[in-house]
Amino acid sequence: MSLLIGGEELGWLGEGSRLFASGAAESSYNLSRDWAGAVVGAGVTLVAPEELLPGTLCVAISLMGSTTALGEQLPGGEEPARAVRALERRLGERAGAVTALNLAAENALIPFIAAAELGLPMIDGDGSGRVFPLVEQTTYALGGMSPTPLALAGASGELIVMETAPDRVEELLRPVVLSVGGWAVAACYPMTAGDLARVLVPGTVSLLLRAGVPGAPRSVAAPYGVRTLCRGRIQAVEGSTRLGSELALPSSPSSIVLQETEGLRRLVRLEAHNEIVLALADGAAVAMAPDQICLISMTDGMVVDVDKAEPGLKVEVMVLKAAPVWHTERGLALGGLRAFGIPL
Amino acid sequence: MNPVRGSGWAAPVTVAELVNAGPLAGARMYGTGERPVHQVRIVDRLSVFAAVAPHTAVVLIGAAASGGWAVEMAMRRAWEQAAACVIAPSSGLSEGSGEVLADRLGVTLLFVDEDPLILAVRVASAASRPEAARTQLVARCATRLADAGASARRVLGVLNAELPGTSVTLLDRYGRYLAGRQSVGGPAGDFTTAGRWAAEVEVLDQEGAVLGTLVAGGSSRSPGWPAVVRTVLGLAVAPLTAWAAQERLRVARDFALQSSLAERLLNEAAAEESEPGAAATGQATGPADLEAAGSGVAGPGVGGPRVGGSVEAGSAEVVTGPSAGERGGASTGGASTGGVFTGGTSTRGVATGGVSTGGVSTGGASMKSTSIGGASIAGADVGVVGLDDGGGGVDADGVGVDSVGGMDADRQGGVRVEAVALGWPVQGTMTGYHIRPVGPVGDAPLAQALITAAVGQVPVLPRSAGWAGWAALDPGRLAARVERCLQTMPWPCAGGVGAPVEGLPAVGESLLGAEAAAFVAGPGTVARADRMGPAELLGALPAGVLRAPAEVVLRPLLEIDKDGTLLGTLAAVLEEGGALKAAERLGVHRNTVTTRLERIKSAGFDLDDTATRLALQLACHVVLR
Repeated sequence: MSLLIGGEELGWLGEGSRLFASGAAESSYNLSRDWAGAVVGAGVTLVAPEELLPGTLCVAISLMGSTTALGEQLPGGEEPARAVRALERRLGERAGAVTALNLAAENALIPFIAAAELGLPMIDGDGSGRVFPLVEQTTYALGGMSPTPLALAGASGELIVMETAPDRVEELLRPVVLSVGGWAVAACYPMTAGDLARVLVPGTVSLLLRAGVPGAPRSVAAPYGVRTLCRGRIQAVEGSTRLGSELALPSSPSSIVLQETEGLRRLVRLEAHNEIVLALADGAAVAMAPDQICLISMTDGMVVDVDKAEPGLKVEVMVLKAAPVWHTERGLALGGLRAFGIPL
Repeated sequence: MNPVRGSGWAAPVTVAELVNAGPLAGARMYGTGERPVHQVRIVDRLSVFAAVAPHTAVVLIGAAASGGWAVEMAMRRAWEQAAACVIAPSSGLSEGSGEVLADRLGVTLLFVDEDPLILAVRVASAASRPEAARTQLVARCATRLADAGASARRVLGVLNAELPGTSVTLLDRYGRYLAGRQSVGGPAGDFTTAGRWAAEVEVLDQEGAVLGTLVAGGSSRSPGWPAVVRTVLGLAVAPLTAWAAQERLRVARDFALQSSLAERLLNEAAAEESEPGAAATGQATGPADLEAAGSGVAGPGVGGPRVGGSVEAGSAEVVTGPSAGERGGASTGGASTGGVFTGGTSTRGVATGGVSTGGVSTGGASMKSTSIGGASIAGADVGVVGLDDGGGGVDADGVGVDSVGGMDADRQGGVRVEAVALGWPVQGTMTGYHIRPVGPVGDAPLAQALITAAVGQVPVLPRSAGWAGWAALDPGRLAARVERCLQTMPWPCAGGVGAPVEGLPAVGESLLGAEAAAFVAGPGTVARADRMGPAELLGALPAGVLRAPAEVVLRPLLEIDKDGTLLGTLAAVLEEGGALKAAERLGVHRNTVTTRLERIKSAGFDLDDTATRLALQLACHVVLR
C-alpha cells in the first residue's frame, strides 16, 4: 500500500521532521523545504522495502556537513541526482529506490528531493529512528551494511566517490566536505531492498507525515515512546573538559545546567557532545544515549539546538526512546554513552 | 578548663576545619562541611564508590573528575555512601552547579587548586591526628598575634585571616562594632541560631572593666572548632587591652585639647566683640586697607603702628590694634588691643597643607587680646604696602597665616589657626548645636567621635551635662545631621540647634539658643531655636512636675466644679482673651460664660490681676493637657 507524497504531504513531512530534530538551522531548513517544493512535481511514492523486488538497489541519501553552510552556499539543484548517478556508475547498476539516513529536518527532505528528481520511490523508514552525528551511526551499519562506496556531490560541481573501510568513512569525509564548501549530498549504503527491509527502522516517514499534520501531538513522531524529563530554566552553559574531547565528533563537548521550575526543583545537567547524550538530575543519571534527549523551548515549542541554549531559556527536556536495535550490545557500542566519550 | 586541651580537642576534624585552618586551606567549600572526616579515599572512577565507607573524604582524580557531570555523579554517590565530602580539582570545572548540588544533597564539595593526591595525604594525616592539627593552628595564631602588636585592626585582621570560615568582630561594651568583620554584627546571641555557633571572649581594659567583647561565629558544626577559636580569641585579649589603653589615653587627650581649644576660641571671640576697636569690624579704617582674598585673615602692621587703626580683613572680623612691630622686625602686624598685649606666651603654630601658619600673635595667657595679626610672608620688610618696620604681612587665604620667621610670633590668633587646621568654621555664617543626654552621662571622647562622625569637623564642648559646638551649616542641615548623630549615640539624647549667626563672636548666642532648644526637644529628636515658638515652649513645660502645684492653685475652683465645666470655661476665657470669644468657642451664650465667670470669681480668683491670670492659665494648661 504505497502512499503518494505531494505538495501538501511534503509540508507535513517538513513539519514532522522538525519536531525532535536539533542542529537544524532555520535558513537551511527553509531552503530545503523550498527546494523540495520546487521539485515535487507529481509527487513521490512512499513504499515499504518489502513492496519492492528483493534485489532492487536502494541508496541512502543524506546531507553531510553543516546545515548552516547549506544556508550560506546555495545548492545548484542537481547535487542529489549527481551523487546517486555517480554511485550507480561505480556500481554499474541503477538505483530503484531512495532511503534516508535519518529523518531530522533537511535529512528527511534531501532524500525526497533525490527521489523526486530521479523519479524513484522513497522508502518508508530510515537508518536511525532518531539522529546521530556520524555516518556509521546507523541501524544499517548495525545490520552489517557498509556505508561505502559513497558518492559525494558538492554545490560547485564537485563529485567524489569514496571507498574505504567503514570505520574510516567519517575521518575521510570530514575534510572533503569542508573543502567543497562545508556541505555536500552523499549517496551511500548501497544495498538491496531485501537487506534494507532487515536493517531499517520501518515506517518512520509515514509517522512524520502524521505527526506533521497541524494539531497532531508531538509524541506521534516518537515511535518508541517519549517522556518529559523535566521543565526548567537554563542556568548555565559550560564548556566541558571531560575525557573524550579527542573523539572524532564534529563539535566540542558542552554542558547545560538547568534548574527544574516545578516538582522537586532538581538540578539537571545535560552533557552534550554534538547532541545531548546524558542527563543527570541531582547527580543521578536519568537519561542517556542512545535514547534521544531533546530541549524544547517552552516559549515557541521549537527544538533548541545545543549551541543555541543560553541561560534564562525555559525549556522542556524530552527523552525519545531509541529503536530497540540501539539498545542491543552492538547498538550501545555504536550509539551509546561511550561512543560520545563518557566512560559510564 | 585547660585552654590548650579543652573539650573537643580530640574530636575528629570536620571538613570545615580542614578548610578553615588545616591542609585544605584555600579550597573553595560548598556546603556546611560539618561532617567529621575519619579517612580519605582516592577515587578515579565512579565504580569505586561502592567501597567508600561513611565519613570518608573522597578525592576525585582522573575520569572521576573529568567534567561537571562526573563531579555531580560523584556527589550523588557520595551522598548515597554518607561520605564526608567530595574533593575535586578546580581545573576547568565550573563550580556553580556544584554549589547548588552541595546544597541540595547536603554533601560538602571542595574545589582545590593543588594536586589532589598530595592533598589526600595531608588530609589523611590531619584526620588521623586531629589534636596535633589544632595545636599547630593555635601556635601559628600566637606567633602572628605577637607580630601584630597593639592594634585592634591588625589583631582582628590576624584572627579573621587565621580562622577563615569564622568571622571575628570586636564589639564595644554597648555592642557596637569596633573592628573585624562587620558581618558578625550584633550581640553574640543573634547568631547562635540555625546551626551556627558562636564564641565570645570579654576584653577587659587596663583597670579591669569590660572594654568590649570579641565575638566569633561561623556555621561550622565541628565539635572541636569553637574550643579552638575560643583559645585563639583568648590569645588576642592581651594585645587588645594594650591597644585600648593606648587608644584611650590618646582619645582623652585629644578630646581635652579640642574642647579647650574651642573654649578659648569662643572666649577670644567674645572678648574681641567687647573690645571697642572691634566695633570697627567691617569698616576698614587702617591706612593700608588690605584685603586678603575676600575671606582671609589679614592683619598687616599698618603704617601707624600706634595709631590703633583697625584693618578689616576680608569679611572677617579681624581688627588690628597698634602694631607690635618693633619686636625685632619679626613680629606681626597683629595688634594688641586694650593694652593687654603681652607677647610673651606662644601658642603652637599649626601647619596646614604646606602653608606655614600659626604666626599670629595672640594675647598670650590672658587671652583677652583679640587681634589676629596677619603675618608677613617671608620676613620683615617684605613688600607689602604700607608696612612699617614691624613688617606685618598678609596671608592669602586666611588659613595659612605665616609666621614671621616662625619664631615668637605664634601667639595671639594661634587658636584660630589651630581651629582652622582642625577644619572648624571660624567665620561666616555658623550655627550652634547642643546635645543633651537624657539619662546618665556617657563618656565625652566617645560623644565627640560620634558627633564629628555625624556632623563633620566641628568643635565639641562639654556644656551643662551635654555637648555643644558649632558648624558652618544652616540650621536645617545641621539639625538633620544632629538627628543622625542622636541615633548613633548609645545613650538617649535630645538635640538642639541654634539660630544661624555671623561670625564667632555671635556663636555664644546661637549656642544658648541651641541649649534652650535641646531642653525643649524630646529624646532622639532635634529642636531648632529659630523655629521655636510659644507652642514649643509650652510643650517643654515639665507638666508632670507642675501638675501638683497647679492642682493646688486650682483647688478652690475644682471643689465647686464637679463636671469640669468651670475649668473649661476659665481656660477658654483666658486663652481667647474675653468672654465673647470664649462663648463662641464653647458654643454657649455669652451670658452663660459671664455667669460661670462669676462663680469662678466667687471661688476666690481675681481675674483682673495679671499675675493671677498668668498662674491660672498656666495651671489650666498643665491640668487640661
